[in-house]
Amino acid sequence: MSSVSATVQDVFNEPACPKNAAKSEKERKKGCTKQLQPGGAAGGCAFDGAKIALQPITDVAHLVHGPIACEGNSWDNRGAYSSGSTLYRTGFTTDINETDVVFGGEKRLYKSIKEIFDKYNPPAIFVYQTCVPAMIGDDIDAVCKAASKKFGKPVVPVNSPGFVGPKNLGNKLAGEALLAHVIGTVEPEYSTPYDVNIIGEYNLAGEMWQVEPLLKEIGFRILSCISGDAKYVDVASAHRARATMMVCSKAMINITRKLEEKFGIPYFEGSFYGIGDMSDSIRQLAQLCIDRGAPQEFMDRAEAVIAREEKLAWDEIMSYLPRLKGKKVLLITGGVKSWSVVAALQEVGMEIVGTSVKKSTKEDKERIKELMGEDAHAFDDMSPREMYKMLKEARADIMLSGGRSQFIALKANMPWLDINQERHHAYSGYKGMVDLVREIDKALYNPIWEQVRTPAPWAKASDSWQAKADAEAAREAAELAADPAKAEAKRRSKKICKCKTVDLGTIEDAILAGALTQAQVIETTHAGSGCTGCRGTIDGILEDMAARGGEVIELDPLQAEEKRRAKKICNCKEVSLGTIEDTIRAKGLMTVVEVTAETEAGGGCESCCETIDEILADVHAKDPVPAMAAE
Amino acid sequence: MPQNADNVLDHFDLFRQPEYREMLANKKKNFESPVAEAELQRVVEWTKTWDYREKNFAREALTVNPAKACQPLGAVFAAVGFEGTIPFVHGSQGCVAYYRSHFSRHFKEPSSCVSSSMTEDAAVFGGLNNMIDGLANTYNLYKPKMISVSTTCMAEVIGDDLNAFIKNAKEKGSVPKEFDVPFAHTPAFVGSHITGYDNVMKGIFEHFWGGKAGTAPKLDRVENDQINFITGFDPYTVGNVRELKRMFDLIGFNYKIVCDNSDVWDTPTDGTFRMFDGGTTIEETEKAVHAKATVSMQEYCTEKTLKYIHEEWKHEIVPFNHPIGVKGTDEFLLKISELTGRPIPDQLKLERGRLVDAICDSNTHIHVKKFAIYADPDMCIGLVSFLLECGAEPTHVLATNGSKSWAEKVEKMLADSPFGQNCHVYPGRDLWHMRSLLFTEPVDFLIGNTYGKYLERDTGTPLIRIGFPIFDRHHHHRYPVWGYQGGLNVLVWILDRVFEEIDKNTIVPAYSDFSYDIIR
Repeated sequence: MSSVSATVQDVFNEPACPKNAAKSEKERKKGCTKQLQPGGAAGGCAFDGAKIALQPITDVAHLVHGPIACEGNSWDNRGAYSSGSTLYRTGFTTDINETDVVFGGEKRLYKSIKEIFDKYNPPAIFVYQTCVPAMIGDDIDAVCKAASKKFGKPVVPVNSPGFVGPKNLGNKLAGEALLAHVIGTVEPEYSTPYDVNIIGEYNLAGEMWQVEPLLKEIGFRILSCISGDAKYVDVASAHRARATMMVCSKAMINITRKLEEKFGIPYFEGSFYGIGDMSDSIRQLAQLCIDRGAPQEFMDRAEAVIAREEKLAWDEIMSYLPRLKGKKVLLITGGVKSWSVVAALQEVGMEIVGTSVKKSTKEDKERIKELMGEDAHAFDDMSPREMYKMLKEARADIMLSGGRSQFIALKANMPWLDINQERHHAYSGYKGMVDLVREIDKALYNPIWEQVRTPAPWAKASDSWQAKADAEAAREAAELAADPAKAEAKRRSKKICKCKTVDLGTIEDAILAGALTQAQVIETTHAGSGCTGCRGTIDGILEDMAARGGEVIELDPLQAEEKRRAKKICNCKEVSLGTIEDTIRAKGLMTVVEVTAETEAGGGCESCCETIDEILADVHAKDPVPAMAAE
Repeated sequence: MPQNADNVLDHFDLFRQPEYREMLANKKKNFESPVAEAELQRVVEWTKTWDYREKNFAREALTVNPAKACQPLGAVFAAVGFEGTIPFVHGSQGCVAYYRSHFSRHFKEPSSCVSSSMTEDAAVFGGLNNMIDGLANTYNLYKPKMISVSTTCMAEVIGDDLNAFIKNAKEKGSVPKEFDVPFAHTPAFVGSHITGYDNVMKGIFEHFWGGKAGTAPKLDRVENDQINFITGFDPYTVGNVRELKRMFDLIGFNYKIVCDNSDVWDTPTDGTFRMFDGGTTIEETEKAVHAKATVSMQEYCTEKTLKYIHEEWKHEIVPFNHPIGVKGTDEFLLKISELTGRPIPDQLKLERGRLVDAICDSNTHIHVKKFAIYADPDMCIGLVSFLLECGAEPTHVLATNGSKSWAEKVEKMLADSPFGQNCHVYPGRDLWHMRSLLFTEPVDFLIGNTYGKYLERDTGTPLIRIGFPIFDRHHHHRYPVWGYQGGLNVLVWILDRVFEEIDKNTIVPAYSDFSYDIIR
């Protein structure tokens, strides 16, 4: 077994993560992030995750072993700021070529390491493995070991080729690399009872710098920040800290936990976003230090700074309250930011109409529920199309998200503000919240949105694409109503299996031709042989056909209704029609996204989303939802 | 010697050599009676204060660094918009050399224009002989199809009567009797280059439509569906006129750009010298009388012309103010659509969406930034409208040749927008006034012509070059600023400067380069 897969398995076993701990052995092996759906629009790979986690370490050379693609696309794209060296912004890659692929790239890698030491003399080199050299069998661990010995300086292999999994896994593999090769290799010159680690903070747009002076003023010494504005020796001496604050909940949890296991450093999970969270984090960090021997009056110093800064921030924020109060926000972001930003926005009187919890842990989700109430509109994973729909329907005033979603917001005529890595403003700390509020205010009151939302002056209302689409749908419905043959053709053309593009008609024909079990249908039509999400639907078709085929057993209405309601709609999450209908009625749901959020139906392979849409239409047709629909 | 034949240094490097530095320092010390450095600095700092600003704005007689040019410059601009037409400036030769160099430096094109070369004799006895000889020489040397006569101050001060002079010259056989010599009095001591443009345009219409100074019958107007367009004195005429034609062809209607200098200011390098190129023909100019409407792209460049066309010839007249941006273009196209009964073509709808999209994509970078603008009155309005729709604050809007009514119009635009609240309009002020404004009420960016670079140097306000003249950047006049495509150009010019400024402020290694980012 190669060391990468061993490490991956190790990472998948994360006792500090309650969600992970609750899983069966088998489930755990599959990893914690949903496996990517072939054909879907996907996020970054494990290499990218590792690279962005470590790239903010400023004084080392980050050498990407692979073809130009990997470094070419990730070079200096992070906006993590440095107060010292700028070496981390230099793009180093072995840029392997065809010959290397045939004969192996280890020599080139070794020579590249040598040239970096010769020309730049960094305190260390981080070598990133990528797919191609991993597949041809380049052993970067061995090369790094040899180079380290030869040049007398650390050469750290970061074994996280893209194919092993998603970005989040890469974050953790980066953490493993630090644990295995860096942390604990250097002893700090001296220690204090106030030495702390901050893990999962990347100093994006200089965010750490909004927090650091306050922590220093209180008396903390940030022994090591992983990895924002970090120097190699700082990271290497992280094992001597008295306490750890973990900032971005999932990304670096393995480092934090192992620091505790190996070196007895207690940790807590906190956030620098939001005034309340910032204060809580300072208190908790101070408390951990006190628990480990710092004097009790340390807390007084912390409280004094907290009181002063909170007042300053509130005074500034209050001036925005009248302009922001009641404005609706759609929040699409990952991990810890969801709940920390929710709290912050609520502080200025804004209403969160929805938030994504894609990268959030169960605890994150709990926090969101706590903050936003039980009927929080929290979405696990949102495709661009759903996001667009959500924006259009929720009538939010602004969307806060990462850079990649911005264009969806803009096409939906929605003001947008970047709160992920490509933002250019620092939103952490007390000052950061004032900045965030100011930026939201700016975005909301930008006159271009008015321009965007009003149609062109010559446009008639009936000319809008929405109106056209509605008209087209109405025309189609009328046509079908008038022509039963067409309606039947339309009914038969419904895609049942999306993976293998098999329609209802084909399956019905197969059943008529003698395929009488699910297995036979799958064998003859290939429907259900992809993601398997439609197998339940196939069962339903078999039942329907059997019913139509004559062996009709008359059920009394009550039984029939029960049978109807028991039908599995979502096979992935095992949600029945009845459950969905009840939830739609009870909560007045209008969209598939909402149904998914409430019942989990459609949260798996998504193949039943269309069916859910139909159920929504049916329910509302029978029983129009008054209040929400009217709006 | 710092200079050496094997490696000749140009002025950038030569005068920085120690020998020259020493010489210049000595000259200053020994011959320029320099004031003490501290005193110098005190005065420099004082010019940045409100105290100085008040004194500056109390200035009554002196104009310092005017943001306008003279009438004849506008006259020459208008004249070359007609086919085979040579501008003939009755007056002193030196003035004409100025117009030619001005246009050549802006458009990077030869600029053909002749003068009657009045001398001291002519100033005393009148310039009739200069007119007679001048027209004859011009006609024979350059074989023009038309000679458009305007004047400089010199001829105006002594009161030369162009109408009589031209008649006289024709009688003396300078040019054939039927040869077209429209004229306009364009003294520089009245108005500015936009007035000169206006006067020449009116002169040309009066000539062709109104009976050629009594030598032909007035035309009979038979209204048709044509729409005339007059573009005004426009530094972006090459790009703008071509963009107008493209949009009009897409809409599909009968139009004529009267005074089209898009080709003469953009001749190809293919071995042929074109003294004349393109332009509105005499026939087209005459036929333009029948149009149902005349649209001016720049109201303040065509005040008299429009009045004449409306009152004498009953055209519907439609004035615009150098429309820039989404709203400006919307209003313009809607009016065209209304005049012609033609719908807005799909292509233009797409272009509108793309411009809106582009503004959205970059919205945070212009929003709530403060701008100072100086330009000709119409262009000021176009730019103010565009900045307001991007959420920028046009804090200072200045036009040396802006009138009171212009100022009121701009003030209304500012008052109607939440982004115009602390903004002010300065008609009749100059760039030294602007200097005080920039010091006392600083802005993020300055929009103006090449001369704005001195304001940029003194005040540190980054200059976005839009206007006339632009001498120190090349080829911007080839790009349109009208239409949605033009709006995109203006947006990009502004954004480029915004980002350059961010980079400039973050480029210092080990000081500010932590923010020297590749993604903006």
